[in-house]
Amino acid sequence: MRLCIDKLSKAYGFLWAVRDLSVELGSGDLIALLGPNGAGKTTLLKLLAGLITPTTGSIHFDETSGIARVSRARAGLLMPADHLYDNLTVQENLSFFLSLYGHRCDLQMITAALEEVALLERGAEFVGNLSSGMRCRLSIAKWKLLQPDLLLLDEPYGVLDGSGIDLLEAFLRQQTAHGAIVVMASHHVARALKLCSRALILKQGRLTFNEAKQQPWTSFDRAFGEFLPHGERWSS
Amino acid sequence: MEFIKQTLLLLWKDLLLELRRRDSLLTMFFFGTLLLFVFHFSFDLPPDRVAEMTPALLWLAFLFTGTLGLTQLFQVERENHCLEALLLSPLDRGALFLAKSCFNLLLMFLVEAVVMPLFWILFNLQGWNLLPQLFLVTLLGTVGFCVLGTIMSAITLRARARELLLPLVLFPLMIPVILATIRCMETIMSAGELGAAWSWLRLLLGFDIIFVTVGILMFDRVIES
Repeated sequence: MRLCIDKLSKAYGFLWAVRDLSVELGSGDLIALLGPNGAGKTTLLKLLAGLITPTTGSIHFDETSGIARVSRARAGLLMPADHLYDNLTVQENLSFFLSLYGHRCDLQMITAALEEVALLERGAEFVGNLSSGMRCRLSIAKWKLLQPDLLLLDEPYGVLDGSGIDLLEAFLRQQTAHGAIVVMASHHVARALKLCSRALILKQGRLTFNEAKQQPWTSFDRAFGEFLPHGERWSS
Repeated sequence: MEFIKQTLLLLWKDLLLELRRRDSLLTMFFFGTLLLFVFHFSFDLPPDRVAEMTPALLWLAFLFTGTLGLTQLFQVERENHCLEALLLSPLDRGALFLAKSCFNLLLMFLVEAVVMPLFWILFNLQGWNLLPQLFLVTLLGTVGFCVLGTIMSAITLRARARELLLPLVLFPLMIPVILATIRCMETIMSAGELGAAWSWLRLLLGFDIIFVTVGILMFDRVIES
């Protein structure tokens, strides 16, 4: 499985959110997508998910164009508290999305997934009544069931408690072990670096850093240092 | 087959959500009924102008009521960015168009099924036997309204003042449907039979077929733009 991004750019009016980005990712890669606010991280995730079309450049998932329908079935975007219907129950949300992706709607599988994310007792409750942390757990359950080949995550740590973070990280490790590609945009640098196999740093839409993980990682420390709060130091 | 399964799944989801929220149907129903009472208290229908005025007044009520429903059509998808979740999935976007059109159509039919007989009662009109034929014409007109309305609703989805913008872009494009439906109903009411309005019926059918096809084929581009 290969994800090839070639000279990808996205402009909103006169503003380049992503500019001339080229990178190649392979099976089992877990990418930490880092950078300051407004660097273009979410735009890049949306481009990879096929939610927005690039101004120039291309995305190829294996041999398929990134925005083709067949690729959409293989990509998943985990937004912590979004992409769920408030007035459907936890179970109904999972059944709906399973059917939408053409999967068999197996109640046993749904129950098992809910048990794994500690939401089994809330299965009959409306999603609107859940806290944002619980919604994030439900999103994890959703993507656990759908098993995408390319999983994109936008700030997944923000709303999760300790056990939720353990759950998320175990899920991401499981995904990469199965050969999926995971791209995670986050400001929780230490956590992202612990998990990742490669880090990308974006600055004003341009890719300023792209390296596989090393120990020690002095080049990353240098590249990331400029985004730290005044007076702070970083060491990976 | 997959296309039909996706359409039914989305329609089931929308109906379930509507059953629980009851936002659109109740608002449309009360607004439609309220308009009838406003018409009733505002003027009398002289017997010699019944055939001329009844269709126009009815369609005025349906247009305003339907527009109210259209502004709410994508509301559930806007909450929690659920539209993104749908667009992210391998769903055929034509199925989304068809499901939304059918959902709006169902709501409109329910409202029309109550409003039309109520209009006859309030204005003490004769010719109850024409009501099924008039309802059939209304059905064809409503299909055109819902289909074009769904396309326009999707186009104005990301606009700031979408509730104001939607009728402004929709009504001019609706002129052929409104004209054909009103003329068709007028002809039926004055001639007393459906056959006399065949030319207008053909126009309505043609409009419906064209825009259903255009919607299914083009919704992909409409919803992404």
